[in-house]
Amino acid sequence: MRRVGIVGAAITPCKGHWIERTYYGLSQMAVRDCLKDAAVSVKDVDGVVYGIYNDIFELAAIPEHPLHGIVGMANKPGMRVTNGGATGAYAMLAAYTWIASGLYDSVLVLGVERATDCFDFESMTETPEVIKTIGWSGDTFFERELGWTASDSYAEMVLAYMDDHPSDLKPQISAKIAELLCQQAKNNPYAQRCDELVTAEMAMNSRYVVYPFKLLEMCVYSEGAGALLFASEEKAKAISRNSGKPPIWITGVGASNEHSVAGPDYRRHKYMGRIWSDHISAQKAYEMAGIKNPLDEIQVVELHDAFIKQLQITMGEFGFVEIGRTDALVEEGIMTPGGRVLVNPSGGLTFGGHFVGGSNVMSTWSARREMINRGLKHGLIHGTGSTVAQYGVCMVLERGE
Amino acid sequence: MTKKDNREAPKVIPEHMNPPIASEIVRRDGEDYLQTNEAMFTFYKRTKGEFSRYFLGLRDEMKIHGIRCPKCRAIRVPPFELMCPDCEFAEMEYVEMPDQGVMNSTPPITYFAHSLFQSFVPFGRGRVVLEGAETALPIQVYTTKGILTPFIFKRGTPVKIVFRDERLGKPTDIFAVPLSELPARLQSKSPLLESDLDFSKPAEPPVGKPTEAHRAAYRSALGLLQELAKGVESSPRAQHNLAGWKRLISWKTAGGNLTLDITDGQLAVSGDAPKGPADLVMISDDPQLLVDWMSFKEALTNAIISGKLWISVNREFTTVFKLDRLPRSIHRDRK
Repeated sequence: MRRVGIVGAAITPCKGHWIERTYYGLSQMAVRDCLKDAAVSVKDVDGVVYGIYNDIFELAAIPEHPLHGIVGMANKPGMRVTNGGATGAYAMLAAYTWIASGLYDSVLVLGVERATDCFDFESMTETPEVIKTIGWSGDTFFERELGWTASDSYAEMVLAYMDDHPSDLKPQISAKIAELLCQQAKNNPYAQRCDELVTAEMAMNSRYVVYPFKLLEMCVYSEGAGALLFASEEKAKAISRNSGKPPIWITGVGASNEHSVAGPDYRRHKYMGRIWSDHISAQKAYEMAGIKNPLDEIQVVELHDAFIKQLQITMGEFGFVEIGRTDALVEEGIMTPGGRVLVNPSGGLTFGGHFVGGSNVMSTWSARREMINRGLKHGLIHGTGSTVAQYGVCMVLERGE
Repeated sequence: MTKKDNREAPKVIPEHMNPPIASEIVRRDGEDYLQTNEAMFTFYKRTKGEFSRYFLGLRDEMKIHGIRCPKCRAIRVPPFELMCPDCEFAEMEYVEMPDQGVMNSTPPITYFAHSLFQSFVPFGRGRVVLEGAETALPIQVYTTKGILTPFIFKRGTPVKIVFRDERLGKPTDIFAVPLSELPARLQSKSPLLESDLDFSKPAEPPVGKPTEAHRAAYRSALGLLQELAKGVESSPRAQHNLAGWKRLISWKTAGGNLTLDITDGQLAVSGDAPKGPADLVMISDDPQLLVDWMSFKEALTNAIISGKLWISVNREFTTVFKLDRLPRSIHRDRK
């Protein structure tokens, strides 16, 4: 397989609702800025992989088709990926394989999503209809009609983890992490909540949405777009020489989708108290990248924090802390300022924003930015998605010269 | 079905959810943007295919079917596959399952639901491992003892499956209740019907005798509520929270009565009982709860869960969420 590098990245501002732009306009903004970042013309790009999660959000069954011409890709290959919350990461995985296989030399990843065009005319607010739209993602024979939502699905997994580890995930720790992410979002000019102040006390006292998830300890709904430019080794080096920015090599890739039906053995069904998809995908990525001890070797993690308590479990699955002792992330200062690893410097999906098809693109944009600006050697990016955290994708990044 | 029947039958899309054909101008940063009411709708006559036997079993026989692999002998419920992928796709065989089991894990309780389920909150959706099964059956969980809180069901809680009196061949034809809430004669009754259960309707709790502390907290609460109502007038976020909503709320405390009147984006407050019948009665013995709510120290939703606040109508959780949003919305707009 050929080496693949990231040589350009951009995101639009994340907003609760983009009245001023459709997803066409958002896509153009992200692609233009990404190509500007890489200092290349769109004519030099061989193809595009789209990450768009939900047809209903875009009110279109083939939402990428009107984008292809307007992002300058006419007559070039384009493929849409949709994989729940992990859509962006899976779109990156597809683009990676296009280049690693030798088929193409430079490929755009464009992640875009709307959400709050959806509107509930009974409560006269957006959120219940957004949740309903995502609700179509659950199993439609046995679960959707029971009131399945993304939140209650992840809550189910977190509660099962708490059944196994009742002394972990203490409320004050999750609240402290919310405060920390809020502070970090101030470093992200595109963050949806960069002007917000959320303290640990506010997070602790915020209302339950789905027990045990509180309002200020979960991701927001966002609209926005993000684009990345992937290139083969030779091309990446040439682009980097021209742009003056080092390539970020993708040295490890892992993906795993679990069973969706609950049972006691994760090899046959979904074991509810773990996120084996995160564990397996991280281990595969580490193995490929030669990472032996992530806590010693990885300096920045941008992970998909749909919910703060899930962030903690995911960090356990990644091996940065022990499963059952993830409160050590704060109690032992592992991810607090000056700690051993920088976690979600963008503010994560909780404070940065969560435009589903492109959220993992945003995470990659942020990890790359931190690796370049702070001179960090290794980064880890991640996407999770589908019912009960079924899907997981990890990529290990390495800063080039 | 005739056209006449079609007109008279309950609708797949509830009438009240269907917006009128309309458009409007939204102004942002000095520019006008057009938005229109639209919907993405498709109607189906969707087959339940290989799952028909399971759903017909629920509807017509009040039986729960599982499937068993003839090779590995694993029993899976619901019968979600024809063949066992662990045994080179051996054909599964149907088995009848018992109506008792245990919770697979602690079930989540939803307090803020999507638009089709707002009138059902709070509700629980968990998974029950029926006796003999390897997999867990997704199911709604209920208590017969008032508002559903997160502390009723845990991993391993023994439960009984209850059949709805009116069944449609849907997953909601059955639900689970804690076995311990049932008298012995109902624990052993199969099938157990919804109408066999006694869903106690908790009466309005009495308000305690006022203390000096209650009176002082009441005065603070009334002052803060009046400030809150004034804050709504200058907060676009708060007005948005209350837009299109009309509710008359009677709030009783040991320190005194309060009335909150929500009318399409505005909030009016008074320090006495409402003049007419209230849409929602809220009772908190200690008026300090209102002070804590408006000072970001306690969410009303959480107070209901912990038993500090009683509400007369479960489906009015939607109104409680709107109230919960107000202090933060006003705070954010002031910033």
